[in-house]
Amino acid sequence: MLRIFHNTKYDFIKWWKVAAIATIAFMAIGLASFAVTGGPNYSVEFTGGTLVQLKFKQPTDASKIRAALDGAGIKGAEVQQYGGADEFTIRAQDKELVASQAAGADKVEDQIRSALSKTLGADTYTVARTESIGPKVGEELSRRAVLAMVLVSIATLIYLAFRFEWRFGVAAVVGTLHDTIITLAFIKLLHLEVSLTVVAAILTLLGYSMNDTIIIFDRVRENLRTAGRTSLHDVLNRSINDTLPRSIMTHATTFAASLALLLFAGEVIRPFAWVMTFGIFVATFSSIYVAGPVLLWIEQKFPRKAASGVAARANDVKPKRAGEAVTR
Amino acid sequence: MNSLRSRLLLIAAAIGLSVFALFPRNTAVREQTPDGTFVETTKRLWPLKYGLDLQGGMHLALEIDESKGAVADKKDAIGRVLTTVRNRVDQFGVSEPVVQQAGDDRIIVELPGIDDQQRAKELISTAAFLQFQIVDKTNALEKSLPRMDAVVRARGLDVAVAAPGAAKGPSAAAPLSGLLSGDTTKKAGADSAKAAVAPDAVAKDANGAFTRAIQPGQFPGQYFVKETDVKRLDGLLSDSTVKAAIAPGKVIRFGSDTIAAAPGQGAYRELYVLDSRPIITGEYLTNAKPNSNQLEGGFIVEFEFNAEGGRIFRRETGKHIRDNMAVVLDDRVVTAPTINSAIGRNGQITLGGGTLQDAQDLALVLRAGALPVAIKVAEIRNIGASLGQDSIDKGKLAFGIAIMMVIVIMVGYYRFSGMVACVALALYIFFTLAILAGFGATLTLPGLAGLVLGVGIAVDANVLIFERIREEMDRGKSARLSIDEGFKHALSAIVDTSVATILSGAVLYQYGTGPVRGFAVTLVVGVAASLFTALFVTRTLLLLWLDRTGGTKPLSI
Repeated sequence: MLRIFHNTKYDFIKWWKVAAIATIAFMAIGLASFAVTGGPNYSVEFTGGTLVQLKFKQPTDASKIRAALDGAGIKGAEVQQYGGADEFTIRAQDKELVASQAAGADKVEDQIRSALSKTLGADTYTVARTESIGPKVGEELSRRAVLAMVLVSIATLIYLAFRFEWRFGVAAVVGTLHDTIITLAFIKLLHLEVSLTVVAAILTLLGYSMNDTIIIFDRVRENLRTAGRTSLHDVLNRSINDTLPRSIMTHATTFAASLALLLFAGEVIRPFAWVMTFGIFVATFSSIYVAGPVLLWIEQKFPRKAASGVAARANDVKPKRAGEAVTR
Repeated sequence: MNSLRSRLLLIAAAIGLSVFALFPRNTAVREQTPDGTFVETTKRLWPLKYGLDLQGGMHLALEIDESKGAVADKKDAIGRVLTTVRNRVDQFGVSEPVVQQAGDDRIIVELPGIDDQQRAKELISTAAFLQFQIVDKTNALEKSLPRMDAVVRARGLDVAVAAPGAAKGPSAAAPLSGLLSGDTTKKAGADSAKAAVAPDAVAKDANGAFTRAIQPGQFPGQYFVKETDVKRLDGLLSDSTVKAAIAPGKVIRFGSDTIAAAPGQGAYRELYVLDSRPIITGEYLTNAKPNSNQLEGGFIVEFEFNAEGGRIFRRETGKHIRDNMAVVLDDRVVTAPTINSAIGRNGQITLGGGTLQDAQDLALVLRAGALPVAIKVAEIRNIGASLGQDSIDKGKLAFGIAIMMVIVIMVGYYRFSGMVACVALALYIFFTLAILAGFGATLTLPGLAGLVLGVGIAVDANVLIFERIREEMDRGKSARLSIDEGFKHALSAIVDTSVATILSGAVLYQYGTGPVRGFAVTLVVGVAASLFTALFVTRTLLLLWLDRTGGTKPLSI
């Protein structure tokens, strides 16, 4: 039997201060970057605007495309290489251009198309993808994305409060909030664009991180029943060590899958894959060093009543349904 | 043994159902033949549908355009727009189009596999409001011009253009106004009683916004305007005070096509003065079809009115023999032929320029009917078919690599049990695809990513179980007991994580749009499939192993 991290007795919680400093530092860098250069780049789906992706027959230069747009008087559009030297994206998210799309979302796209075919020749490239979003639709999409994030958090909080104790739910949701902030900082530092797909990735990551936290808390719940006078601090440590082989295996396989996405699934899905790959580390980290310490902190502030004796403790922590499932 | 047999039967049944769900079946499809027409055929197709982002196509959201007047009953209007758009899309001939209402005031159109996206957009969003209007013969424009110029000048509407025009000086403006004033005096002078005012007005307004740009055409009521002036004049004409200055009962409309003048003279556009009351509109049309113009080359659209329309048309055209009748589509004059005799139910529209496709498209929108209100595009997304194919190919590659890595990790670590987990994993993928196909779900690029990611997450349940079994074995329990206890203890964690994931998936589905919904669906279906494979299939396979070995051998885990 091949074993890794079997029967370990690492004192994970001991390092929570170091972990807190590290994660706060990362958040601070992210927030500082927000303060200096503004929030993350949102895709045209959220801001409204126009995206045109071109594939040229010959490798070309971004400056040529820029010149073509300038010649047609389209200002405030950004030209970027996308993948190889023959693929480019044009992004028009400038306020004025977006406002002009209120009268018809396709206006700017049509201008760009005609400017390009006039200056560069219609047969030198193909339009691989376009997205033209009017300002109203953009607002709706961002509202729905924020709503989705908030609702996912609330739904999980309610479920966890129902299945565990409220303190577990709160700790898990704080961990999730931490993940969201850290991921946004990561997105900002990597200059990724926040699109609908990236929001989906963030939500997946939140679910994944929640899973990880639940697995550890499930162990805590179980270990507390036999804990006797052991402190929650030690129970938490033991639970993390108990679930360590599982954590390593699951993270390894998920990491392998998201790495495959990152490396082989192409440019369109890459931002999604980046968020997931990074998210696996964040999720692992937050289950141990955010959700755990927060649980301990809550325990200190609001100690369980009659926190002595095996029976009392076990009764207190025993969840209504899960307890039955486990002890049956 | 009995329970083992029923377990195996259940798995076999699930596999059977999945094979059925995934088996290629005959589907009615609409296909484009090489000559461009569409035919209904049946084809054997894999039942799992690809989303627009994978097969390429166009996603279009339309809204009522209220910039030119409010729409009183929006709900009713959007319903009628929906009918017209659906008609047009059906006639356009796309396989599996989606035309549906979203919310109170929006229509979503999805056209998979469209290659000419600009054309499709035009076809759907064009108003196609057809009117037949008699061309003015009373020189109404000549009479109105001074007043129109005066209005423009008084309101300072022409300022922006007047400045550069003045700077360029006589070279550009003079020949035009010279032509015009000569012509105007000849015509207007002949029938105008206000001779005292007219010369003064013409002299004064020779550089007026309208006068300097408009030249007379080939017959009364027709004029020419330089293409470079069209946009400016169009803007001026949309101003309500300028409109009020036009002779009552008349409207000014531009031609739909640019006319190439003699070399060096630049391009021109026709401008018409028409009776504002149409003699008939397109609502009486019953049929329209494209044809080639035998006499002059080019293309025509032949149309047919219903009986009532035919009566009206005959009566009205009978009254206007020798007059010119403008065929006006969406406020642009397509053609303005002379009426030689009364026309009944059948007529034709001669297209000035354009291709057979233009004639086909015009016939199509005329047949499908005009949009009751103006609409605008609120959102449009195009994905080229090649980009979609590229995404599919790369997604498959990533999927294969992910599976291989997971197999290596699982078999390398858990050996025999790892292989069991891989069988369960294979079934997981199979079931997920089958459920997606069975529910008619659409596979999108984020959905494909969700599937790849699902492979990683699906093994989690197996890992949880195996680790628990190992713990039980460490306590010296037999293989059979360890397996039982392992599954029992892992259950609560697996259920909790699955429910949490399903909750987020449900929210994503409810509040997500397009591709993200596809992702949510694969996520939820994936969790359901992984619950079944990990808790049931893996256990059955381990029970099968116990049965074969009699529970005497140590479990390789």
